[in-house]
Amino acid sequence: MKPNIVIADPYPLIYEGLFHILSNTENHFSIYKATTLNEIQHIQHQTTIDIVLINPILVQNNIEQFTKLKASMERTNWLAVICAYFPPALLSLFSGQIQLSDQPNFILTTIHKHIETDHQQEVGEHQFLSEREIDVLKLLVTGNSNKEIADKLNISAHTVISHRKNISLKTGIKSLSGLTIYAVIKNIIFIDTY
Amino acid sequence: MQSKYKMIIADLKVSDLIMENYYIILMLEHFGIQLNVQEKTVEEVCLENNINVEVFLTFANLFNGIKYIPATEFTFEDLQTIIGYLKNCHHYYIEEKYPKIRRYIKRIHELNKLPETKLIETFFNEYINEVTAHLDYENNVVFPYITNLFNQSKHLLPVSDVNLYSVTEYKDHHSDIEEKLTDIKNLLIKYLPQHNEQNVRRKLLFSLFELEYDLNIHSQIEDNILVPLVEKVEQQLKKG
Repeated sequence: MKPNIVIADPYPLIYEGLFHILSNTENHFSIYKATTLNEIQHIQHQTTIDIVLINPILVQNNIEQFTKLKASMERTNWLAVICAYFPPALLSLFSGQIQLSDQPNFILTTIHKHIETDHQQEVGEHQFLSEREIDVLKLLVTGNSNKEIADKLNISAHTVISHRKNISLKTGIKSLSGLTIYAVIKNIIFIDTY
Repeated sequence: MQSKYKMIIADLKVSDLIMENYYIILMLEHFGIQLNVQEKTVEEVCLENNINVEVFLTFANLFNGIKYIPATEFTFEDLQTIIGYLKNCHHYYIEEKYPKIRRYIKRIHELNKLPETKLIETFFNEYINEVTAHLDYENNVVFPYITNLFNQSKHLLPVSDVNLYSVTEYKDHHSDIEEKLTDIKNLLIKYLPQHNEQNVRRKLLFSLFELEYDLNIHSQIEDNILVPLVEKVEQQLKKG
């Protein structure tokens, strides 16, 4: 599947430049344009975003909204496109950086690195929990009852219980608090949401 | 299950038991028996410490993974020995074992600084609070109740004076306590990323395994020995 990349930048110059670099490669990316956090959210509703290349200006005064958005997009990597000075605390919210001074090849390498680690994580780390089990686990550790999980996933309560049994069997962890820590370590949920 | 240890009998030397399975040192401490034991046999040590040999053999064999069937049934007098043993266990967990484990977890967090480790610390503290509540409950409610029951049976007081609270109900607590311990071990062995704290984590795990071994026997004693014995007294008192 083609990786989905969002370029979120209020400056046309930066957007056009990144678009050009990403289009002129053998790797086919699906590229989306956004100029606000709301637009990113809108794209997220339609497709799974692999990477967002974002100008920290969009985050600077909307940290709370950004944190929530990030928590709701757990499989997405956020790379900051640095066009000015930003405090380290702000930059620590992103998993990587692209500088205006970077060569196009270097930018592509950076992007690939983040697609790959994301991919490896999915295959390697969650390997033995099925996607459905991960869904159940996520709802479970964020405080949903069996009934609520059943309703949200549109499955029977009986199926939820059988998923829970399998999760405990596979991980070796039975208690809710233990499973919560497991989910945090495996990036299934983020400490912020917990 | 086949045990890797020998069955313990009364005329064996206590020092030999320790040489074979060093957990026996911990068991002696729970009984209130002090080292050194010189060349004394199980029988001699029991006599000195006023412990029924059959109680000693039953417990010691549990430590060796062997289900020993006592030659004579335990008497109500043995209840005092058993309760004394369990109280010593509780003291050891609360004053020594748990604080030590807590220090290791704290140290791991200082070294690897992962937010997940902080969560494990919180998890373990919650676990300790739960266990402490359970142990306090035993110390303050269950054990006094049993001692009271024992006195009543001895003096043949009328049934109406006995508070007919039943001891059976508190068995469930134990499985819960063991479950959380297993969870922590799994997180430490399989999942928590490691940064600069291999040796502390090893010490922590050794401590957890030790605790689990002892705690498991402690639960077996309460569930399979103490509770049936108390139920017997309860039955007798009800009959009058």
